Parts: sequence; C-alpha cells; structure tokens
Amino acid sequence: MTTPRHRLTPESARRLTLDTEPWLSCEDCFEQIDIYIELLLTGTRDQHQLAMRTHLAGCNACEEEARSLLLLVAAERNIDAEPILPSLASN
Amino acid sequence: MTASEVVTEGECEQSAPADSDARWIAALSGHGPEHQEALRRLHELMLRGAEHQIAQMYHTLPKLGTVRIEDIVRQSADEATVAVLAKLATFQGRSRFTTWAYKFAILHAAVEVRRNMWRHREVTLDLLYEPYAPGASPEQVIAASDFSSAVSAAIDQGLTSHQREIVLALLVEDVPIDVLAERLGSTRNALHKTLHDARQRLRRHLTAQGYLAASSPTEVNS
Repeated sequence: MTTPRHRLTPESARRLTLDTEPWLSCEDCFEQIDIYIELLLTGTRDQHQLAMRTHLAGCNACEEEARSLLLLVAAERNIDAEPILPSLASN
Repeated sequence: MTASEVVTEGECEQSAPADSDARWIAALSGHGPEHQEALRRLHELMLRGAEHQIAQMYHTLPKLGTVRIEDIVRQSADEATVAVLAKLATFQGRSRFTTWAYKFAILHAAVEVRRNMWRHREVTLDLLYEPYAPGASPEQVIAASDFSSAVSAAIDQGLTSHQREIVLALLVEDVPIDVLAERLGSTRNALHKTLHDARQRLRRHLTAQGYLAASSPTEVNS
C-alpha cells in the first residue's frame, strides 16, 4: 500500500464528505443570495432556505461572498451582524 | 474603505426602500440627465461594494501596491455596473435594490482578487494525489485506522479521475473555484456540480463501508 502523497486532515475529510443535498447551483445561489441575506437580517429563517444554507456550507466561494454581502448590508443598516453570521451556512 | 465608513452614505439612501427601488429602476431604464445621474450613483455603489470586498479579502492578497488595488476596485466596479444594467429587468423587488446590486460588486471583486492571488501559481492536477498501490485489497484499505484514511481510500476507489482531480484541487489544495474554472476552461457551476456528485459518491462509498450512517444528516455539518 502506497502512502498518499497528501494525507487528508480531519477538516479536509469533513469538507470532502459534506452532505450537499438538496442541490443548489452556484448560479441559483447568486440569484437568491440578496433575498436570503435580507431574510437573515430580519430574523426570518425557514425550511425553504435549506438548499441555500446547505450550498453555502459546501461552497467556499459562495459562502465568502454571502458573508461579505451580509456584513456590508448589515453595516449600512446599523445592524450587528455577528449574531447572524453563525446561521449563514448551517442547518 | 471599511464597512463602517460605508454606513453613513448608505443610510441616507435607505429611508423609503420601495420608493427608492422604483426610482432606481426607472432612472436606470430611462434616458437623459436622470439616467446619467443614476448611472453615476450606481457606479459609486459598485465602487463601495468592491472596496468592501477587497477589505474583506485583503489579508489573502499578495503584496500589491495601492495603485494595483485601486485598479482592481475600479475594474470590478466597472464590470459590476455593466452586469447590473444587463440584469436590470430581472430585479423583482424581493430585496432592496442596493442589496441586489451589491452582490454583483462583491462577486466581481472577489473573482478578481482570487485571480490575483493565483496569478503566478500553478495548479498541477496530476501531481496532487498519489493513489494506493493497484494491488491493495479492500480489506487492506479498510484497515485504515481513522476516518481521514478511509476518505483517502474512498477518493481512490470511488471517484472517477476527473472527480478526484476536482475535489482535491478545490478542497485539499484550496484552489479557488473561479481560478480552477478558468484554468480548465470550465465554469464555476460545472465544477461545483462535479464536486457535489463526487461528495455524494464518497458518502455512498463510506456508508457502504460503515464509516457513515445511512441517510445521515451529516454529522460533519457545523
């Protein structure tokens, strides 16, 4: 047995085996992200956002951009985004 | 520009959201001086969004001078302005116009930053992973003592070579998806679909091996 050149860290193993159902494409995520951020800022959270949360948990780029949008819009409205951030990409 | 510096200007435009949104759309869709003024304000909004995104990602940027960073901001804002105008008819008012528009600035700036981060870095997919020896039996592989080793084996045994290359590039080498898409002549959407399919395959493989519970709501999501 050959040792893999790259040993997977526990974090890598976690990211590789994330359950990313229900499926949402990056394109659809982008289409909906402004609505999702507005809902988060108003404290609204429902099951219909599951696909979005799941996608953000599994897509680094979309999560980074969503986080940034949340911080920007929250700052403009004088809303503290810190309590909201943990729910951005979690089920 | 920090997010807090954005607040003062942004707040002034948020007093009557619905009316404000309608005015944005009407002015940007129209002609004449009002249209030109709306274009100017839209570009300012995109600059603000791009500057915010650069600030968020600044710690990841290679040492770039002020001039280069300003170029990135300006280019991103220009591209985002064009993108907003192209998609204006799709704005449905389900969010505020400024929130909807900001996402274009953030996207374009983020993609440009990632390009700059990887401008001089190679992505050599064929060197990323050394598989288990061809003669290794399933029993030898399963004897691996921890979940990480089991995932390594599943990557080797359960994925196509294309899937293997994509997941390792994105999730082990942390190549940004936009950068990888550009290098491979693919799209962010297509790569994310490959990643999704690969994850599902890995999960099925590991479930069959007993490393994951059947229909687990993923203990790994935090």
